[in-house]
Amino acid sequence: MTGVENPVGTPPTTSAPARGDGARRVGVVVRRLVLSPAVLSVAGALALTTIVMIAVGVDPSLAYPALVRGALMDGNLEYTLAAYVPTLGMAVAFAIPLRAGEFNLGGDGQLSLGGIVAAALALHAGGSYVVPLVGAALAGALVAGLSAPLRTRLGIPAIVSTLLLSAPAVSLASYLARFPLAEPGTGLAQTPLLPESARLPAFGSSSYVTIALPLVAALTALWLYADARTVPGYEIRALGANREFARYGGVRVDRMAAVTLAAGGAFAGLVGGLIVLGPPYRFVDGALTAPGYTFTAIAAVLLAAGRPPAIPAAVALLTILQAGGQGMEREAGVPSQLTQIVQGLIIVIVSVAAVVRSRWTGRQA
Amino acid sequence: MSVPPHDRPVAGAPAVELAGITKRFGDVLANDGIDLAVARGEVHAVVGENGAGKSTLMSVLYGLHRPDAGQVLRAGVPVRLRSPADAIAHGLGMVHQRLRLFPGLSVAENVVIGAEPVRRGMLDRAAADRAVAGLSERYGLDVDPSARVGELPVGVRQRVEILKALYRRAEVLILDEPTAVLTPGETEGLLRMVREFAAEGVSVLLVTHKLEEVLAASDRVTVLRGGRVTGRFDTAATSADELVQAMIGRSLGAPPHGPRPTGTPSGPAEAMAYVLEVRDLHLRDQDGVAAVAEVSFGVRAGEIVGLAGVAGSGQRELVEAVTGLRRAGSGEVLLEGRPVEGGRERRVAYVPADRAGRATAPIMSLADNLLMGEQRGIRLRPDRMRQRAAALVERFSIRASSVRAPIAQLSGGNAQKAVLARELSRDTPVLVVEEPTQGVDVGAQERIHALLAEARDAGRAVLLQSSELSELRALADRVLVMFEGRVVADLPVAEATDERLGAAMTGAARPEQGDAEATG
Ligand SMILES: Nc1ncnc2c1ncn2[C@@H]1O[C@H](COP(=O)(O)OP(=O)(O)OP(=O)(O)O)[C@@H](O)[C@H]1O
Ligand SMILES: [Mg+2]
Repeated sequence: MTGVENPVGTPPTTSAPARGDGARRVGVVVRRLVLSPAVLSVAGALALTTIVMIAVGVDPSLAYPALVRGALMDGNLEYTLAAYVPTLGMAVAFAIPLRAGEFNLGGDGQLSLGGIVAAALALHAGGSYVVPLVGAALAGALVAGLSAPLRTRLGIPAIVSTLLLSAPAVSLASYLARFPLAEPGTGLAQTPLLPESARLPAFGSSSYVTIALPLVAALTALWLYADARTVPGYEIRALGANREFARYGGVRVDRMAAVTLAAGGAFAGLVGGLIVLGPPYRFVDGALTAPGYTFTAIAAVLLAAGRPPAIPAAVALLTILQAGGQGMEREAGVPSQLTQIVQGLIIVIVSVAAVVRSRWTGRQA
Repeated sequence: MSVPPHDRPVAGAPAVELAGITKRFGDVLANDGIDLAVARGEVHAVVGENGAGKSTLMSVLYGLHRPDAGQVLRAGVPVRLRSPADAIAHGLGMVHQRLRLFPGLSVAENVVIGAEPVRRGMLDRAAADRAVAGLSERYGLDVDPSARVGELPVGVRQRVEILKALYRRAEVLILDEPTAVLTPGETEGLLRMVREFAAEGVSVLLVTHKLEEVLAASDRVTVLRGGRVTGRFDTAATSADELVQAMIGRSLGAPPHGPRPTGTPSGPAEAMAYVLEVRDLHLRDQDGVAAVAEVSFGVRAGEIVGLAGVAGSGQRELVEAVTGLRRAGSGEVLLEGRPVEGGRERRVAYVPADRAGRATAPIMSLADNLLMGEQRGIRLRPDRMRQRAAALVERFSIRASSVRAPIAQLSGGNAQKAVLARELSRDTPVLVVEEPTQGVDVGAQERIHALLAEARDAGRAVLLQSSELSELRALADRVLVMFEGRVVADLPVAEATDERLGAAMTGAARPEQGDAEATG
């Protein structure tokens, strides 16, 4: 464009003489890592847990190994993985719209509707698991997508509308499972067993883990790539960082926000379908929401503190804590509620750490 | 406490004193052993290049940054400032370079926040409105206490910030580039107010890039460069030249572009068709109030048309219509004969005045910020992005530690240069620029002007909105003046004197400017 060499400003003047370069830089990196909200909060939570254990008279040196065994050893790994998959899926369902600055708190509703739609299609459409899964994703996308016009037309923020739409969606799924789709003659709130053809194949020889694991892993990887390396991912990040900036830069902000909400809903619906098409191969009322995948997922995303690649690890950490909690209860007599308390503490500390950090690094001009 | 050698013999200790302040951000030494003392009732100017460390120093004084070394003394007593709350408790007040207001709240609510008048446990709205109206009247700031801050133009928002500090009865007032986006009239009013403050015994720290303000309003000057003090002057005994020398280590050359030979656009511009044409444009704001009415004008290739007017006269809305960010109520905006489409118009490069709110996403990296508007296709190419960013950083001398660091870490002037770099490097027929030199140092101002002249010479049609009349005069071929949503004057640059522009801006010139509007 121009021929001027150095058009604006004088060349940068004496930038600070970097003192003891290498060592200093390592120091800075280490400090940043140690002070990151994730590390701080996990460490803080563990410290608090240990104090609680000691206070209630449990030996931490027994409890922690029991926790690890309960989650990862003695054949428990399978259960843990079976819980990891839906939690990771729900984490992505929350994280996709979050990147655009929208909170999807309606995960439970999207999950339940996805599950019941998958069951209905498996029972009545026949064929393989593909159609039920697609239907489940569409159902989730539809419920979550509803929040977009509610925001642009009526000004109701997504954080409110997704939450408000969740309960009726859960109830609708529950009603369908109890009445139109109920297993005849049993009086139980569940659908009949799904036909063999629609069931998800097992992953390896596992009896709990299905091909949902590689599927969710692959989709998560795809999303991570899209977020970091594609133009739509960039536009979504810009939208979340400063809506007006994105609009200024030519991003169709309303449409983009709607897309992310629907995509998050699709992910949640898909997870519902994957659960239902896996063991015990039916929609059991309440079985999707009772384990609290949605809540754990939100906690994990907050723990990852705006760094999507950290989400799988954060989900793993929280899932291990939960699964291990039961082992700890069995072996060390620590009530498994303790791990829920730890999870809650992590969230509180994450938030506090994030706020404190933003105060420290807050910048004016 | 050791009294720094530069301190004038005043009775008692200085009102406020910074002693040996050092502040480091990673590898950047932003402040390096800075000493600075301000007496009671003194107006002390702090000047220096972009990134010299002025805002950092002011932030240390206001408790926003903790220094790595050194201390702050208030009336001779060392004080620990761990937060702005501490600073306010010690009688310090600050108006930030980047405005920090709540857009959803009213002016009065923003002003009293944290120190609200309370009646029966509730915010006493009437008292707040009254207090704010009283202050704004007393200092001639002309702000409606009940207006929503988010809907106000930047210039007015700046005044709200000033009101906020006034309301807290600060004894030491820190103003970080308060005049960057004010019109000359507003600036004059502000400086008068600053002098009034000083007369009442308030100490004022004034950060600015405008040396005429330094010379007009300050008692003493401290010059920073690369985080160090490179000069201390008594204003009465110094000159702009001497200050520039201390700031950038050389004198300013003659402007490389020189004033435009009047009335002779390069080439046969007169004959050429308008690249940007606005025809009988009407716009309404959110509340349905007319913001722009009956505006018609055109900008040819190779021409710079200036846009002047007091804040809130419709310039912002007009620019939004030209850039596609706002739908026309009625009338037309044509670019090369075709109407602007809805959504951001790709044929217009646009430098917005609202840097943190619109022109950048402060939490995104410099590289991400430099990409906006140019993103195309599906795949992002991070290495190519970083390369382009690095090239722009180099060409525009943006002082940044890394293109991956958030743009919020750049100094104000460097962030402004980044926005200019992005928009000037776009290949569009039309360039719309608001306040291009806000917050940039004198050296960079010179070069930005040269770049805009170059864009003109390259055949782009440039619409330049500026509150700096000298900037308009230096660059524009014609100056349009807006008042209450209408173009009330259209002056060739030769006739655009301070008096005529000033009169038009206040609406005084309306009746006699019959030639103003191209169409009725
Ligand atoms: N929070 C931060 N993190 C990293 N670097 C920072 C931070 N704050 C300031 N800096 C760096 O410190 C240096 C001084 O910045 P400062 O904002 O004080 O400059 P300034 O004199 O106010 O410039 P301007 O005139 O452009 O506003 C710059 O190089 C800037 O990038
Ligand atoms: Mg600054």
